[in-house]
Amino acid sequence: MSPGELLRLSAESLLAQRFRAVLTMLGMIIGVFAVVVLVSLGQGAKNYILSQFEGLGTNLIIIQPGKTDRKSSFQAPIGSAQKKMTVSDITALEKRALNLEAVSGVILGTASVRYEDALSNINIFGVNEQFPLILNLTLGSGDFFTREEDDFGRRVIVIGQNVRKDLFGEDSPIGRRVKLNESEFRVVGVLGAMGNKLGLDLDNLAFVPTSAALRLFNEDKLFGIRAKASAKVRVDDAVEEIKEILTERRDGADDFTIITQVAMMESMETILNMLSYVLGGIAAISMLVGGVGIMNIMLVSVSERTQEIGIRRAVGARRRDILSQFLVEAVALSLLGGLVGVAAALLVTHGAFFFFSSFDMRPPFWIIGPAFGLSISVGIVFGVWPARKASRIETLEALRYE
Amino acid sequence: MNEMASLILLRDLSRVFSRGGEEIRALDSVSLSIQSGEFVAITGASGSGKSTLMYILGLIDRQTSGSYYLSSTLTDSLSDDERAMLRNQRLGFVFQGFHLLPKANALRNVSMPLTYAGAYGGKISAAEAESRAQSALERVGMGDRLRHLPKELSGGQRQRVAIARALVNNPQVLFADEPTGNLDSKRGQEIMDLFCTLKEAGVTIILVTHDGLLSRQTKRQIVMKDGQVAEDSGGGTNVTR
Repeated sequence: MSPGELLRLSAESLLAQRFRAVLTMLGMIIGVFAVVVLVSLGQGAKNYILSQFEGLGTNLIIIQPGKTDRKSSFQAPIGSAQKKMTVSDITALEKRALNLEAVSGVILGTASVRYEDALSNINIFGVNEQFPLILNLTLGSGDFFTREEDDFGRRVIVIGQNVRKDLFGEDSPIGRRVKLNESEFRVVGVLGAMGNKLGLDLDNLAFVPTSAALRLFNEDKLFGIRAKASAKVRVDDAVEEIKEILTERRDGADDFTIITQVAMMESMETILNMLSYVLGGIAAISMLVGGVGIMNIMLVSVSERTQEIGIRRAVGARRRDILSQFLVEAVALSLLGGLVGVAAALLVTHGAFFFFSSFDMRPPFWIIGPAFGLSISVGIVFGVWPARKASRIETLEALRYE
Repeated sequence: MNEMASLILLRDLSRVFSRGGEEIRALDSVSLSIQSGEFVAITGASGSGKSTLMYILGLIDRQTSGSYYLSSTLTDSLSDDERAMLRNQRLGFVFQGFHLLPKANALRNVSMPLTYAGAYGGKISAAEAESRAQSALERVGMGDRLRHLPKELSGGQRQRVAIARALVNNPQVLFADEPTGNLDSKRGQEIMDLFCTLKEAGVTIILVTHDGLLSRQTKRQIVMKDGQVAEDSGGGTNVTR
């Protein structure tokens, strides 16, 4: 029987049982749809998160007090350090580390900011003048504070976009004085709209000089150190330098943890890829269920059409003709289902991108290829048994079957 | 008459079924020959072995022992595929219950055997298959019902479609198993008349029936009893050993 005739035959047979065919295909449609959408979702999430990291600068080096051997951890345990991390560590790194472009301490706290009647409770970061370089921050208006302002303990503040709106509305805040808890700070700059970076809402915080922050929060130690290597290829050298300098300053104890952006991204990528695979794997199970549905219906079909098989064999169909007839039908079911599933997935993901353009989970169009192949495989794997069963029916018994 | 020139030649043909450990001899050493162009009725009571004989002659069933020559070809050792080829190229079947494909129209039902011809080296295009199916349907007087589904046809019309399907490959032998069994006597007679016309056109017809009225209309009657040939009116051609 020619391929064209086989296709015609399976088309006729599926059309004759339209409703049943659509229901059977539904299993495959859902399965393939789920695989494509969930893998796309995983990949979209990966790309989104990695781009957030990239936005922070791939040369970023995070140094936290306290020791951990876990390379992929995001944060070292806070408060486990034997020796405090202080401003003198920053000075030492600035002086001696050759591969660093910028280095700053970080002091973290919350405070209420007041301007006239407007009040806002926000996160305050105590950093030095190099910090904008490290996190790729841009200023909307005014300037970041200077080294001199830090050295002289000036109470100056750089605020995020939303803080500005909350406190000043449409007025220019530069030069105005706000009250941070009970101390007066002069606004010197406003950040550009930065949005969210890694859960850090840069629009809803404010930066003050390290010295001012230490006084404000009554602290004598740093929360951590952030540094930027002079180039991506220098990150490893910079880490070695930092290790050497800080260890020396701690009498030989490496009582700190260094996390680089590269290592973080690598471990993130591993985790997020794993997420995609797990999601895809779970979805693939629904595809198997779809395949079992096809097998089930094909078995029913074989038994319903036993007499047809007998007639066809009687007029000259070979066993393999019967086999191909039922196999092609099963593959047609799974393939059609698969293609509809891919089409639906493309539609949904592209539609989602249209409405939420910040999160791109569009699968590449080449996904049609594997989906095509996978659907055919499912059809063959689950269609071969019913088809073999059909081909093994004895002609005489099939003719007498009622 | 030269035995080897016979269209069908059986020698000591037996068919034994075993059911639940018990052996049933459906055919017991049957020997006979049928010449090209004959119109033969095989009759007998239910269980006499007439249907078994037809299925073996039609290469649908296999004998347990003995030899069957179809136009001088020994069929005993043929493979499944070779038997399928002979069914496709040389034999035609009309079954008792019409056995049409319910979802296919008359034309598709009749052209169906031709779609398998390609496997045997005689590829027939879809267009040619359709035109041959159409002429077969016209031959049985169904030229005006080409696109009808079986359920839209009467019993007699369905049987004509079944006969057209059996004729579409210009078979050497046409087998008909109780072809009038599901029809009233008037429609049955019409079908018989059709067979007679086909016989006149040179088709060899082997009719299996328990209806004495029908069998008397054929030139030769073979009466089966207990798996053996009890009576053969065309005695001259019967092989005796």
